[in-house]
Amino acid sequence: MSEGPTVSGELTITRIFNARPEVVFECMTTPSHLTHFWGPIGISTPLSGIIVEPKPGGRFETLMVNDQSGEEYPMRGVFVEFDPPKKFSFTEAGVEGGMMTSIVFHDLGDGRTETVTHQTNVPPMLMSPEARQGLESSFVKMDEYLERL
Amino acid sequence: MTPTDSLSRTFAALADPTRRSILARLAKGQATVNEIAEPFAMSLQAVSKHLKVLEVAGLISRGRDAQYRPCRFEPAPLEVATDWMTKNQQIWTERFDRLEQHLTHINHDQHKEKK
Repeated sequence: MSEGPTVSGELTITRIFNARPEVVFECMTTPSHLTHFWGPIGISTPLSGIIVEPKPGGRFETLMVNDQSGEEYPMRGVFVEFDPPKKFSFTEAGVEGGMMTSIVFHDLGDGRTETVTHQTNVPPMLMSPEARQGLESSFVKMDEYLERL
Repeated sequence: MTPTDSLSRTFAALADPTRRSILARLAKGQATVNEIAEPFAMSLQAVSKHLKVLEVAGLISRGRDAQYRPCRFEPAPLEVATDWMTKNQQIWTERFDRLEQHLTHINHDQHKEKK
């Protein structure tokens, strides 16, 4: 896996945080924490717009607001995996034909945590309810799907 | 089944190494199907199938000449896809910068509570 964006629509970002996995995982999945950092610079994420249902199939929704223009950017995700403090992943059916994001938390053993964030553009056919049941294997399916094109 | 939105089509088209090689060839200049097929150990039919995917994704265009129909590289969808990925990476980087600051605040607060 290469760092940064690739031509095939995948993005990998590795980051080391100065906190234990339990703390980093909790920050990334708790509304009262998310409101402090989820929006990039110049974008706020009001607490009232954050929904986290911490389980597979649960909702993961945020509403980011541009501080200057007031423009709103909703994110409607559904958790696929929720395994604290090791990993969570979610899909966004509405974004560019469907997107899968997974974040893995590695305990570095010295109070720090390495997170590996991986985003993959998932073709819309994988987002049907039948396909969602087997989303663990969605990357395998995507390869098969692309081969058939 | 073909992905309906253009960005998915672009990414799906680019996911195949043969199609990326074809694009790299066409980026140097237009070529006919025969010329494109030359370096690949595959049938003209298989190459035509790849060209069709690239054409549907808007990454190449075909000439009018019924017999040769030379293929031309069209960079616009690639630029849209690259812009989108770059923007997305920027969002995650800034988000993690802010998370880092937030974790520092939490640490400070915990130290205060202990005192």
